[in-house]
Amino acid sequence: MAATPVSVAPAPDPQEAFLNVEGVRKYFGGVKALDGVSFSLVKGEAHALVGENGAGKSTLIKILSGVYPYDAGDIFLGGAAYKPANPHEAKESGIQVVHQEFNLLDHLSIAENISIERLPKTRYGLLDKAEMNRRAREALDAIGLSDIDVRSPVSSLGIAHRQLVEIARALQSKSQILILDEPTATLTERETKRLFEIVENIKAEGVTIVFVSHHLDEVFALCDRVTVFRNGKTIATDQIADMTPEKVVQRMVGRHLEAQMTDATKEQCYGEVALKVVDMCTAANSKDKGISFDLRYGEILGIAGLVGAGRTEILRGIFGIDPIRSGSVYRDGKEVRFKGPKDAIVSGIGFVTEDRKDEGLILDMPIAANVSLVNLMEVATSGIIQFAAENKQAREGGARLKLKYGKTADPASSLSGGNQQKVVLAKWLARNPKVLLLDEPTRGVDVGAKAEIYSILKDLAREGVALLVVSSEMPELMTLADRILVLAEHEVQGELQRNEFSEENILKLAYGQHQ
Amino acid sequence: MKFMKFAAAAATSLVLLANAAQAAEEKPVVGLIMKSLANEFFQNMLEGAKAHEAMRGDYELRAVGMQNETDFESQINAVENFITQGVDAIVVAPADSRAMVRPLKKAMQAGIVVVNFDVALDEEVKQQQGVELAFVGPDNRGGAKMAGDVLGEKLGKDGKVVIIEGNPGADNGIQRALGFEDSVKQYELNLIESRTAHWETEEANTVFSNMLTAHPDIQGVMAANDSMAIGVVKALESAGRDDILVVGFDNIDAVGPMIEDGRMLATVDQFGQDMAANAIDMALEVVRGGPELEGWVKTPIKLVVAE
Amino acid sequence: MTTQTSGDVAQEPRRVTLRSVLNNAGIGLALLALILFFAVFTEHFLTPNNITNILTQITINLILAVGMTFVILIGGIDLSVGSVMAFAAVVAGKAITLPGFGPVEAIALAIVAATLIGVLCGMFNGVISAYWSLPSFIITLGMLNIARGAALHVSDAQTIYSFPLAFEDFGSAMIYGVPVVFMVAVVLVLIAWFILNFTVFGRLLYGIGNNEEAVRLAGHSVYWYKVAAFTICGLTAGIAAVVYMARLNISSPIAGIGFELNAIAAVIIGGTSLSGGRGSVIGTLLGAFIIGVLANGLILIGLSDFMRQMITGVVIIIAVVLDYYRAKYTAS
Repeated sequence: MAATPVSVAPAPDPQEAFLNVEGVRKYFGGVKALDGVSFSLVKGEAHALVGENGAGKSTLIKILSGVYPYDAGDIFLGGAAYKPANPHEAKESGIQVVHQEFNLLDHLSIAENISIERLPKTRYGLLDKAEMNRRAREALDAIGLSDIDVRSPVSSLGIAHRQLVEIARALQSKSQILILDEPTATLTERETKRLFEIVENIKAEGVTIVFVSHHLDEVFALCDRVTVFRNGKTIATDQIADMTPEKVVQRMVGRHLEAQMTDATKEQCYGEVALKVVDMCTAANSKDKGISFDLRYGEILGIAGLVGAGRTEILRGIFGIDPIRSGSVYRDGKEVRFKGPKDAIVSGIGFVTEDRKDEGLILDMPIAANVSLVNLMEVATSGIIQFAAENKQAREGGARLKLKYGKTADPASSLSGGNQQKVVLAKWLARNPKVLLLDEPTRGVDVGAKAEIYSILKDLAREGVALLVVSSEMPELMTLADRILVLAEHEVQGELQRNEFSEENILKLAYGQHQ
Repeated sequence: MKFMKFAAAAATSLVLLANAAQAAEEKPVVGLIMKSLANEFFQNMLEGAKAHEAMRGDYELRAVGMQNETDFESQINAVENFITQGVDAIVVAPADSRAMVRPLKKAMQAGIVVVNFDVALDEEVKQQQGVELAFVGPDNRGGAKMAGDVLGEKLGKDGKVVIIEGNPGADNGIQRALGFEDSVKQYELNLIESRTAHWETEEANTVFSNMLTAHPDIQGVMAANDSMAIGVVKALESAGRDDILVVGFDNIDAVGPMIEDGRMLATVDQFGQDMAANAIDMALEVVRGGPELEGWVKTPIKLVVAE
Repeated sequence: MTTQTSGDVAQEPRRVTLRSVLNNAGIGLALLALILFFAVFTEHFLTPNNITNILTQITINLILAVGMTFVILIGGIDLSVGSVMAFAAVVAGKAITLPGFGPVEAIALAIVAATLIGVLCGMFNGVISAYWSLPSFIITLGMLNIARGAALHVSDAQTIYSFPLAFEDFGSAMIYGVPVVFMVAVVLVLIAWFILNFTVFGRLLYGIGNNEEAVRLAGHSVYWYKVAAFTICGLTAGIAAVVYMARLNISSPIAGIGFELNAIAAVIIGGTSLSGGRGSVIGTLLGAFIIGVLANGLILIGLSDFMRQMITGVVIIIAVVLDYYRAKYTAS
């Protein structure tokens, strides 16, 4: 559909490349974030970086903008080696980033925000407000925002305008390269169009645009070339004119598409509907249309989608953490309205959260205390904890999940990521939940522990537990799930049965590329 | 914004009301500025002044206290407010003997009769600013010496005594400590230690217990107020000592029984309740055309001992 | 089934205690060093009378600090305890001096009044700060003023006196040279220690201080636990008021000014983290002893008031710096 590029810029000559990234590697501890990234930028082009979540785009941007140093490889800017020590140096070299999250100071004026990096001073060292406002005016005019008063606070602006203020700020100092990280994630279609017009103008003035987006149609509408990332590596750089969205998706996921399909043929018989969600709108979802699905006992339902598609919000809504704006939830056929996690737990639901450190574990407390957290009352007699019972519970839970630990009195922080995750699971399993919600159940978990967790979850399903799994890792969902719902922008884009599972199919739905 | 507007309107109407009241009744208005009303002494003084207003019935009293002993900014604000309201006289117990001179000078220049009582303004600063202002008040130093003398007479030469001081820096506390020291000199007592307990019972109890441990041969204690004297008496009781003499200052109700049964030797009454009333009487005399006050008008003090 | 668990049931609870003892060992050593120092350099420090004095003198601070430990463990703070103590004391003072009651009834009435006032003030702090998730620093600062004002209002700023003799006897009673009021404080410490280490309630307070969200998502009502912690803190302020009255036989509306800071200092010196989740009431006991021994010993040594204040400040800072290193050491 959107395969024809709008831009008709002449094919850039590789000789003109003025930013060269060659074999850059970056490690965080033992984890490879970038494993050989190479590409180049040509003056005045719009260059897209695409790839799955965690493929390495964000890390690369942070290296280019001076947030992280790189461990190996070379970067040349205008022929000279480029190794910015901090974001300030990167800006001095003419590389500006408009981040996905806003970096604006809400209570300051637009002018102050635009000039914050270099506030003009009067002769006496005081803030030169007139000059500041003049510069801000100029910066906003440059991107065609002449209807906004620079003296009003940023908090008075809508999301789209804030994005544009960020761009104005980035462009204020003469930049050679402007990196836009998911600039349209929060914009409406009309706002996106406006943004693209502005970007086209900037580009026409000779600024190089680096465009990071999950939306392939935008990539095809705006960019001249595209570089695909996968697993911390750059796969290839192509002229947009030579590509189709299907080809890009294929590059993103690799060629081994059907590899993960395991015993798909096995007939499953599920129980009654354990959890029914009808037209549920979470607070984060501003649309009228909500999410609906059924989850049966013994079934594993996967939820796929990109970051920001509203997956975690659904789990939090069901579990009673965040209020639901509209719609209803049925548990065993009865409508329920959980006022808080307590109600959800009482009705037999468990929730393995995405963020172990902030929501799942009490890191400084013993393993036993973490395992008993949900059902302390069961290891206590009239409010007094029976330590023998608590330790027994922890040891049994540990044995069931093949937990590797020293003593149950050791703090949870002494465990590896995979074993920490098993403690979180043990905490919920100690309560024998009927329905288990899991958000990114194997994030930060090594391969061996991953396989173990998968088999535990499958065992649970076989025992009749209903599982709802949110994951950004498609192979994970295809291994675990009996069905996958694919979300985009708080809407169900489609449902895939086991025989339809493929990364391509999931991504197409997730990127809104309907067949 | 709204609140400010409301406050401004309220303030204006208050001033108008005040003026109207003044015009209607022609009664002179006296502004009374005291120190912390959390202090029993000033609370009693306020009660006394209110009773006095009701009794005389020929003037209007406006009384202002402050948050705590050291919050002299609110006193300065009070003076400025009284100037704005155009009171006839200001009767003030300064929280700081230096800081209050300038605002009071402004009041005098505005034609307001100012009477300084309780704590004297600093002579040096008065001279610097060219202010001539009489002081109406008790002689804290002399009063303390009266109590100290009773102790000195009982103990005789080389009697071992300690002083429990008030807040460091508080003028009346300093004067009382000086008075005690005068007694020490006169009777050639042996002053072992002098420590603050910040006017407070519990702290005096703790501090004195520890002093007693360090110096079990203490024979007499001079406390700069009665609250602290009570703490000392309690410490003596729990140490099982009845051979140590205690004197205090202020004559608060709670020490009455202690004086009676000998747990305390003496205290000093400076008639705090009447002090403000007396000062108001003097101010009204001047307002009515009487002669200006001069120098130090001493108010009565009385030694209280068991009968 | 192969696991690498040690699985030694009997050993585990003992190890927990051992570790908490080790955690407190640093403070214990510091206290020991202080005691040795004063014993060597002053004549009277280790005399029975002086030890009795020290025990009496730390009692009120210790009682307040026990309650403060609960609040600080959940990551809060209570600045109002000194004022609440004064408020409870004057209300109880009014009650005990009511005409027409026998001494026993009057004392009982006073105790009920003081604890009730304490509990209500604490509950107010807890409900307001937990319900709206407001910083307890601000709410209890408000309560500091409310309770102080109320104390002055109720008492007309007058010292209340002449309590029944039996009350005074309780305040000065000793058993083998140990003041009974101090024993009351120690019993409170033991109760608090039991609650914090052996009950579901105590466990969840630690949990809230460490990771409130994890506790909430585990289905516990964080709100009520927070309210309970503040209520306990108020209760101890009420109990401290009773002890104050019994010891001094008066109720003063200006009692307890600055006591909150001493109580917080005892808790922090005792190794409880201001950000919550880590610490123990046994540490608080040691912290209160350090403050009390320091105040006592520095007077015995004859140091001036101002030097004394400076040294106390220095000790608090040293304690917190040491705690930083201890936390770092245990984390690694």
